[in-house]
Amino acid sequence: MKFLMGIGEGFREIRAHKFRSFLTMLGVVLGVASLLAMFALTEGIATGYREVMSQMGGLERVKVRVEPVPAHQESIRELSPGRTYKDALALRMNAPLLSWVSPELDLYLAVRRGDKAETFEVIGIEEDYLHTERHNLEYGRFLTDIDRRDHNRVCVIGRGVIERLWEDPEAVPLGESVRIGNEFFRIVGIFQRYESERDKKKRELRAKEAPPAQGPGAKTGKRSRWSTFRFKNDVVVVPITTFTTVFKNTKQAGTPDEGAELKLDDLNVQVADLNMFEEALAQIRQILMVTHRGIEDFSVETRQEMFDEMNAAMRNLHMSFGIIAGISLLVGGIGIMNIMLASISERIREIGIRRAVGARSGDIFGQIVIESTVLAALGGVAGLGAALLLMKLLVAISPVQNRPVVHMSAVIMSLTFAVGVGVLAGLYPAWRAAKLSPIEALRYE
Amino acid sequence: MSLIELRDVRKIYRLGEIEIRALDGVSLEIHEGEYAAIVGPSGSGKSTLMHILGCLDRVTEGYVRIDDVDVSRAGGDRLARTRNEKIGFVFQSFNLLPRLNVLENVELPLVYSGVSRAERRSRALEAVGAVGLSDRTHNKPNQLSGGQCQRVAIARALVNNPRIILADEPTGALDSKTGRTILDLFRELSQRGHTVALVTHDANVAAEARRQIVIRDGKIV
Ligand SMILES: Nc1ncnc2c1ncn2[C@@H]1O[C@H](COP(=O)(O)OP(=O)(O)OP(=O)(O)O)[C@@H](O)[C@H]1O
Ligand SMILES: [Mg+2]
Repeated sequence: MKFLMGIGEGFREIRAHKFRSFLTMLGVVLGVASLLAMFALTEGIATGYREVMSQMGGLERVKVRVEPVPAHQESIRELSPGRTYKDALALRMNAPLLSWVSPELDLYLAVRRGDKAETFEVIGIEEDYLHTERHNLEYGRFLTDIDRRDHNRVCVIGRGVIERLWEDPEAVPLGESVRIGNEFFRIVGIFQRYESERDKKKRELRAKEAPPAQGPGAKTGKRSRWSTFRFKNDVVVVPITTFTTVFKNTKQAGTPDEGAELKLDDLNVQVADLNMFEEALAQIRQILMVTHRGIEDFSVETRQEMFDEMNAAMRNLHMSFGIIAGISLLVGGIGIMNIMLASISERIREIGIRRAVGARSGDIFGQIVIESTVLAALGGVAGLGAALLLMKLLVAISPVQNRPVVHMSAVIMSLTFAVGVGVLAGLYPAWRAAKLSPIEALRYE
Repeated sequence: MSLIELRDVRKIYRLGEIEIRALDGVSLEIHEGEYAAIVGPSGSGKSTLMHILGCLDRVTEGYVRIDDVDVSRAGGDRLARTRNEKIGFVFQSFNLLPRLNVLENVELPLVYSGVSRAERRSRALEAVGAVGLSDRTHNKPNQLSGGQCQRVAIARALVNNPRIILADEPTGALDSKTGRTILDLFRELSQRGHTVALVTHDANVAAEARRQIVIRDGKIV
């Protein structure tokens, strides 16, 4: 009852001094706006990170790396066959904690279509590759075990290859052939285009404005910027068996530098359950120790460190933005306190009159705190509006890669902060007002 | 038992080395229903005495009882309640809140005694009617004459139906004719049973009061 009246009183006071209240609120408005903007920006950056990380195969992807033989094993190095296809088979057979095992061979080769030629990474793969790399097939089919058995000259290509060898970047050249190195391969499948949410929007907008130019001389899609997405788009995959016979024959088993067996260029696996991550790593090491005959010429590389670093970077970002926003809110709070102090010394007589007709010092205290809280809350709501408008503007015009994202929790947090600042800023002036004796207040000129 | 009792009350202001004895050993009893005029030269301590009777100020020494409350020893909240329930105070300079209209000003004491909104309204209207301002309920103080302002202040003093009404030179800021109507109001209040004490310079008013308290240099003579 008294509380509601206090709020009414607060509004009346604000209305009576519109301009002054507006100036006071400005501090809180800016504070809340920057707080919310900071939440939104960091959230946007975090979303961007998460997108990239997920495209890179997430935390589940683990790579088996080749390492130099340790010094104490130098004399017995001949015992290890190195990272071979047999490692992949052994892992697949004996490591139940892994869901996919992808042995890979690769070369950078010229890919030709008609009179156009570009160099792409050409990878010899098995079916598991689709899962470890988190690829999505948009058209056609993926490579199969039959392709592998028959050494079929078929390939699946990324959207980046089409963008640079075809006139129309949206072409679907299933069944057509491209020349890879000196051999022709039939295209049986096409991966989807990988891009950030923002690039996608931009591209769709461009496509709406100007339909792609066709015919001779038309510019083909230019190379996208360096990014995870580009690596995923500019790729040609063929069956690993075909790759061995067609491209790696010079490096076949028995040549002096390769040793007795064909070595892999890459070996990636996917851990089935992240809760069993450490156990899975141990399993990989155990199995490879057997196939490498005890020679420690390999390591297991996880994304853990990279993820940790990214998370730490996000924390730092939150912190520094948070400090900036905190400072502006503090400034806003000091503004309110200043105004409340000015307002009470202007109203000491009023306070005296209220005391004379029966207000307790607690009533006066409450009234001042409520007033300053109402002021801050109004400023907070206005700041919210300003921030949302600002976000719209940022999203629309800024070339920032990481689009700001506004979460409800950020809105609630910012408002809570504003109200908290109002309460805190009101405490000191309220105490000053409440401690005056009635007669002191009445005599005040 | 008397309604108000003061025993050996001293109010001493210390300004550096100098000691000002605004009240210097005042003992006084005022009974229920009395109409007392407090007179004396300027600086004799009349206002100081009124502030102590009105629980607005505290004594330096001595005992003060209002009704059944020992206000010389009561805490701040107890004093506030006594001011609110037992005393209506009228000032020379009206002391209305400029941003509130007549009705809201009169309602103010009821706000602090926790009376519901509807009852506040009806009691304030009644008090405003008693001072003859029913047609000005929604005016702000700066739209009223001095005499009207003082009548609003009297309505505010009445609204909680206190037993005691105190006034410190209520006609000091008014011309003699307007002052007359204000003083008539006080006499009426006295006749209705309120205990009234007022500070005045008007010899006629003083003569009219049944009791005169003369004060000089902080002492009752
Ligand atoms: N806050 C104060 N500090 C110091 N001295 C004070 C204070 N208030 C009053 N006095 C002194 O106390 C004495 C009594 O003052 P008071 O206001 O009670 O006189 P008064 O009888 O009401 O006079 P007047 O008729 O002029 O209103 C005066 O000498 C005055 O200077
Ligand atoms: Mg005086």
